Amino acid sequence: MITLPPHRTDVGGSDLVDPFAGDGRKPRRAGRVLLMLAPVIGVVVILGYWQLGIPPFNVQKFVLPKPTDIIRHINSDKTFYWDNARTTLWEAFLGFAIAFVAGMIGATLMAGSRFLERASLPLAVLIQVTPIIAYAPAVVIWRGFGLQPILIITSLVCFVPFLINGLTGLRSVDPNLIELARSVDASWPEVYFRLRIPSALPNVFAAARISVGLALIGAVLGEFFAGVRHGLGYAVKLAQNRNLSLQLWGSVYVLALLGALATLLITVLERFVLHWHSSQRQ
Amino acid sequence: MDRAAGDVGDAVTALDQRAATDTLISLRGVGKQFRRRGRRVVALHDVDLEIRRGEFVSLLGPSGCGKSTLLRIIGGLHDSDGGTVTVDGDDVHRARSAKQYGLVPQAPALVPWKTLAGNVRFLTSLHRGGEAHPVMSDAQISGLLETVGLTGFEHAYPHELSGGMQQRASLVRAFALGAPILLMDEPFAALDEITRADMRYLLLELWRSSNSTVVFVTHAVTEAAILSDRVVVMAAGPGRIATERRIGLPRPRTPEMEDTDEFHETVRVLRADLREHHEKQT
Repeated sequence: MITLPPHRTDVGGSDLVDPFAGDGRKPRRAGRVLLMLAPVIGVVVILGYWQLGIPPFNVQKFVLPKPTDIIRHINSDKTFYWDNARTTLWEAFLGFAIAFVAGMIGATLMAGSRFLERASLPLAVLIQVTPIIAYAPAVVIWRGFGLQPILIITSLVCFVPFLINGLTGLRSVDPNLIELARSVDASWPEVYFRLRIPSALPNVFAAARISVGLALIGAVLGEFFAGVRHGLGYAVKLAQNRNLSLQLWGSVYVLALLGALATLLITVLERFVLHWHSSQRQ
Repeated sequence: MDRAAGDVGDAVTALDQRAATDTLISLRGVGKQFRRRGRRVVALHDVDLEIRRGEFVSLLGPSGCGKSTLLRIIGGLHDSDGGTVTVDGDDVHRARSAKQYGLVPQAPALVPWKTLAGNVRFLTSLHRGGEAHPVMSDAQISGLLETVGLTGFEHAYPHELSGGMQQRASLVRAFALGAPILLMDEPFAALDEITRADMRYLLLELWRSSNSTVVFVTHAVTEAAILSDRVVVMAAGPGRIATERRIGLPRPRTPEMEDTDEFHETVRVLRADLREHHEKQT
């Protein structure tokens, strides 16, 4: 089961189960446990409702299989899901990595030049607001079938969060620290790597959390269009064509699991790297 | 105006201090203009100033008199529009490149992802090897931390320290450079009155054992009086030096001195100077 750290749920959870209610005392033990379990409880409640067949609508089984049937199906065909998950994960990871590197290079250039920033921002906004699904076929026509168009599509959707957050982060460095560095005539690589990059990390992590989901969207979408015969996106397309609702939902579940695991990984990494930052304090 | 050599008064140091009456920092006809909303603002007009080696000089004046600008021109952080500034006969940029300045900004501006031990060595670690003077050894830095009462906090992160402790760390960081000139831009302005009073004597103690020259920007009359060998009173519109006052109080300065008639008289004179030049302007 995926349990996100409790502080991420404070926004939603604290109103419902507020162990601090007014009196400022330490939360009671039971209240603390409940708060920690809140993210799991949310998921379990929805899955239970689903398991009961979404009363009162009673959706038919071939339209929407029950969660237990879906999980049993995944379990019965583990190699199929594992192979396809690996393919999609690899595509998503590569696209994510390309977007990270390109976004940070772009952010660095833009942070260094007001002209470049003003010239590039409209382009960045255009990339972000144009539905990727509309120009994905064009990318496939341009690059042909295969991994290449998938990577281009994936990195395009992840690029803008890294660019914008990276730029904000690189600019967020305390000007007093920059002046201190100048007072001892520090070189620009010193200022960049020892002050600007660390200052930008909170924003870069925020971008990474957004981009994890986008990378999976990009990879699945790429598989839809790029004529490949592997990956969970391909499995979904195949299931749709052949009316295999269990395989369709099985792929969706595995994708959700991949996204949740990747988000968890980033959260853990963030806790470790950004232990000094106020966002990591309770 | 010889400084008491204090406990580090071995023969060489004492001799150095007595011989140290030559000019270290020299400004001739320095001016500075800014452009604000298309209009030219004269921040500094025709400033002449000489600061001797080992002297503690305060720049005292109301906001907008250009005292911080003047400090940054001395430190080579701003260029002057006219006149000449030399440090030990050298150009300010050469002095900056040789790490001749220890800067203490108004905010503590500690690096949030470094521990106290990392922070006090941060300026030393930038532009390594540039300094024309020996940097402080770990033992000396430990000594400084002990002087300011931060022993035992070496592994604490800035967010775990109080505002006063952070500012003390900022002082140690500047002294740890071993730089001959310390530039302080209202370093205690953000602290509460009780902490501020303690900080003044801590600063004097650090300075006494360092052989350094201090240029101290402040708008607090009593602060300038208790710290300085000489107070440079500045006036605004345009920023300029109104007058200079030598402070006759003996060294070392003590909190008890703040109750003497001599101190009160010094403060009265400085207040009168400030008022006179403030009225002239309006």
